[in-house]
Amino acid sequence: MQKDPSYYIQGVLDGNRLMLSRTITLIESSLPSHQEMATTIIEKLLPHTGSAVRLGITGVPGAGKSTFIESFGTLLTDLGHQVAVLAIDPSSARSGGSVLGDKTRMLELSVNDNAFIRPSPSGGTLGGVARKTRETMLACEAAGFDVVIIETVGVGQSETAVASMVDFFLVLMIAGAGDELQGIKKGILEVADTIVINKADGDNVTRAERARREYEAALHILTPGSANWSPQVLTCSALKKSGLAEIWQTVNQHRAALQAAGELQSKRKKQALDWMHFLLEEGLRTWFFTHPDIKATLPKLIAAIEQQAISPTSAAGQLLRILKEKNGEPDTTHAP
Amino acid sequence: MAQHPEYEKWQELATKLLKGKPLDSLDWQTPEGIKVKPLYTAEDIEGLECANTLPGLAPYVRGPMATMYAGRPWTIRQYAGFSTAKESNEFYRKALAAGQKGLSVAFDLATHRGYDSDHPRVTGDVGKAGVAIDSVEDMKILFDGIPLDQMSVSMTMNGAVIPILASYIVAAEEQGVAHEQLTGTIQNDILKEYLTRNTFIYPPTPSMRIVSDIIGFCSKNMPRYNSISISGYHMMEAGANSVLQVAFTMADGLEYVRTALNAGMDVDEFAPRLSFFFGIGMNFFMDIAMLRAARLLWHNLMQQFNPKNPRSSMLRTHCQTSGWSLTEQDPYNNVIRTTLEALTSVLGGTQSLHTNSFDEAIGLPTDFSARIARNTQIIIQEESEVCHVIDPLGGSYYVESLTNSIVEQAMKIIDEVEELGGMAKAIESGMPKMRIEESAARKQARIDQGLDVIVGVNKYQLKDEQIDFEIREVPASVRDDQVARINQIKETRDKAQVEGALAEITRVAREGGNLLEATLPAMRARATVGEVSDAMEEVFGRFVANTRCISGAYASEFSSDSESLLQLRQRTENFLKNHGRRPRMLVTKMGQDGHDRGIKVIASAYADIGFDVDIGPLFQTPEEAAKMAIENDVHVVGASSLTAGHKTLVPGLVAELKKQGGDDIKVVAGGIIPPKDYDYLYERGVEAVFGPGTSVIDSANRTLDLIEKAA
Repeated sequence: MQKDPSYYIQGVLDGNRLMLSRTITLIESSLPSHQEMATTIIEKLLPHTGSAVRLGITGVPGAGKSTFIESFGTLLTDLGHQVAVLAIDPSSARSGGSVLGDKTRMLELSVNDNAFIRPSPSGGTLGGVARKTRETMLACEAAGFDVVIIETVGVGQSETAVASMVDFFLVLMIAGAGDELQGIKKGILEVADTIVINKADGDNVTRAERARREYEAALHILTPGSANWSPQVLTCSALKKSGLAEIWQTVNQHRAALQAAGELQSKRKKQALDWMHFLLEEGLRTWFFTHPDIKATLPKLIAAIEQQAISPTSAAGQLLRILKEKNGEPDTTHAP
Repeated sequence: MAQHPEYEKWQELATKLLKGKPLDSLDWQTPEGIKVKPLYTAEDIEGLECANTLPGLAPYVRGPMATMYAGRPWTIRQYAGFSTAKESNEFYRKALAAGQKGLSVAFDLATHRGYDSDHPRVTGDVGKAGVAIDSVEDMKILFDGIPLDQMSVSMTMNGAVIPILASYIVAAEEQGVAHEQLTGTIQNDILKEYLTRNTFIYPPTPSMRIVSDIIGFCSKNMPRYNSISISGYHMMEAGANSVLQVAFTMADGLEYVRTALNAGMDVDEFAPRLSFFFGIGMNFFMDIAMLRAARLLWHNLMQQFNPKNPRSSMLRTHCQTSGWSLTEQDPYNNVIRTTLEALTSVLGGTQSLHTNSFDEAIGLPTDFSARIARNTQIIIQEESEVCHVIDPLGGSYYVESLTNSIVEQAMKIIDEVEELGGMAKAIESGMPKMRIEESAARKQARIDQGLDVIVGVNKYQLKDEQIDFEIREVPASVRDDQVARINQIKETRDKAQVEGALAEITRVAREGGNLLEATLPAMRARATVGEVSDAMEEVFGRFVANTRCISGAYASEFSSDSESLLQLRQRTENFLKNHGRRPRMLVTKMGQDGHDRGIKVIASAYADIGFDVDIGPLFQTPEEAAKMAIENDVHVVGASSLTAGHKTLVPGLVAELKKQGGDDIKVVAGGIIPPKDYDYLYERGVEAVFGPGTSVIDSANRTLDLIEKAA
């Protein structure tokens, strides 16, 4: 591991794939020394970021995410774009290890010189994954990638985390048997900028079209997240490479609409602020729970609550007082 | 039938001998999920459908022919092919002179995948795991001096089945042999390729059409020729237990029957020419029973199509002893393994048999090892006197009961496949592949713990082993020879005629018609295998495999307090603590070799012990594998090679990593690599070589040593 951050910074800015890859490793590392270095690097790369299209893609298992990204990504490189794909794979809870198999399904894109694919194990906390993905996205932008695609597995909370760092959030669906909307979380629909029904090919075209209409109806009931954009529902076949150009067109329309209204800028600003608040809260929590006095007192109070010797309110009050006594009372007149 | 009058007396005696342990402590739970008891009695076979039947009569449990080996023994059919057509031809002629009865051709992987020898993706594969065939000219050399009207020829070909079968037919024509005189078998079983071996070219739907075109052409023009060999062998080699093997093979068979029926054929027109191919492993009685069960199952399953001809529901099969059961360690033991497996096949009633050579875990068979393998069968046939009695184990309480258990277990899986809509749909769902991989991971875990014994590997190991026999090498010049012949053919043939014939293949692919028939003129005009494959690819496209991987199965075969597993997990945890991330490894198979059992088991097991594992797509070039290793920033790349491409592809990977700046990424290799090539690889920057039989525990520890040292 090189000690000098400028080695990585220059490498990333030169578009060196190896340097970008090693920088991502630093970003993903759990060692404080690596994280510190990564922070320095990102700090220096930041002025070179921001111009890329940030795309989040999620979908239920079996929706064909990898095939979609393979075909869609290839379309984008054919149009002259440099595409980075960040894929988050679930880690096993028991062993901590993971199998990262995404590239096996992105055969063409994985050997494409204008594409960079990095699968990452999800291991660790949601906040951790979000931090790593966000910074990795910035590193890719600094390395010259003008479209960054973040792919997540279609279940769990990672979608909202990803939605809060991209410009455009695409939810991939398939026409299933029975009730189209069953099993789809309302939360996902709320953050979707576009829903795409994949596998609209062969004898599945009519079913996909029917699903499209049903999603459209469902979206009408929800209040759109943006004043300048009503979420669209499209169909495509990643396998037959049809409907993909229309999706890219929609991404561009969305971008133009938001840009014209100044919303893209404000959205990103808000995302940055939200992000800082998130980090702050996470930092406070870590700081609180790792504080030696808290670590000494907390188990005793837990035991006391279990024996009903103390009320939860009074226990929480005691814990907070420990830190307040050390660090002074907060100024409550300017509470947010 | 009531319990044996003295059964209780036996129980008493046995319990006494067990010194207090209960009698059911002797029960054995097989990997197939069948409970085997220490004693079987007449009671166990009472009323069983398989018991008390006759050979040659439905349901054919005791054999498809009325006289079986008493009338004529099985056909000794050794599978072979390597290097150039000329060298393979010499090998065949020697084998035939020494008592072999039929030929079985192994093609190289470039041919399987429809690439000519001069294609840039196949530099490491030409002539390696089989013979390179680029055109009719090669096919004519392959059968030079072998009259095709008298010799039954089996060809293992699935992907490039159209141009290869067409070349064989045209080579026969040019020997003066008519289509209807040809005897033999074409494997033509594409479904199992998507399941295990991955030597497909096109997506499933057009591939199934090709299968049906071949069945259609053969049923009209080649009445003595088996138009398909529905194969379980490769499933077994990929890790399927005996029930999975027989169940998925039957399900494949049903799918082919339906495909042919949908193409408008009558069941009795083609079903008598369907043949089967099973793999036989070390579980002696299990696989005898499996073959008996297979015949019963096929008979019963075929009844739904109302065949009139009894031959339509009669299962005839070829068998091969398991290549996977061979060990690199103490390899002469393989002679004994193969002998046992051969006897299993014979007692199970096979129609033809291939016995493996003892050196096949190390390299390609030599003339010497091939002779021992062939003689294994000859000695059983001509010295052991086992041929005189038909199905000698018929009526055995144990074997009949086991046959019945396999039928029952297999039917459950077949029903499951049918519910998914048949095997093609089931394969799309990923179910059969996951089942086989799970079975493979569990097997590996049992071996790594010493629960399944392999002599010389996890018990009674030799110290300081030396290989004291010669190993066959395929010279690098094979590819040059092939390329030269392709160039020569391209210069001398009638260009316009070839182009016209190829355009016709594309048209038939698009608009319908029989593809095999349409390909004959192209082969006569000296089109190459690659050109014909491309002509169809224009319409069909090339299929990309969807590599999925199971997790948890390896670890779950260990007890929760297994020392070696916990120790490894602790090591990966410590690595995470010290280096900020888990050890990360890319496993890749480069070249056209699609045998992915090894990398799947490794990926699954390594993830179970706390590695982050990236799986490379099949058929990568060294350059592509290096790009992936760098983008994913792995610590180590594990390259698996089973088909003799290791000397080109693995050093190629090391060189590519260096070129792309990733020279600190370690490379380890595994698979079938002759020990004498280890130094060659070490000298070229490979850090460790894990031969067959290396336990995952051992290889993972050595891999961790390597990357800890470097980090």
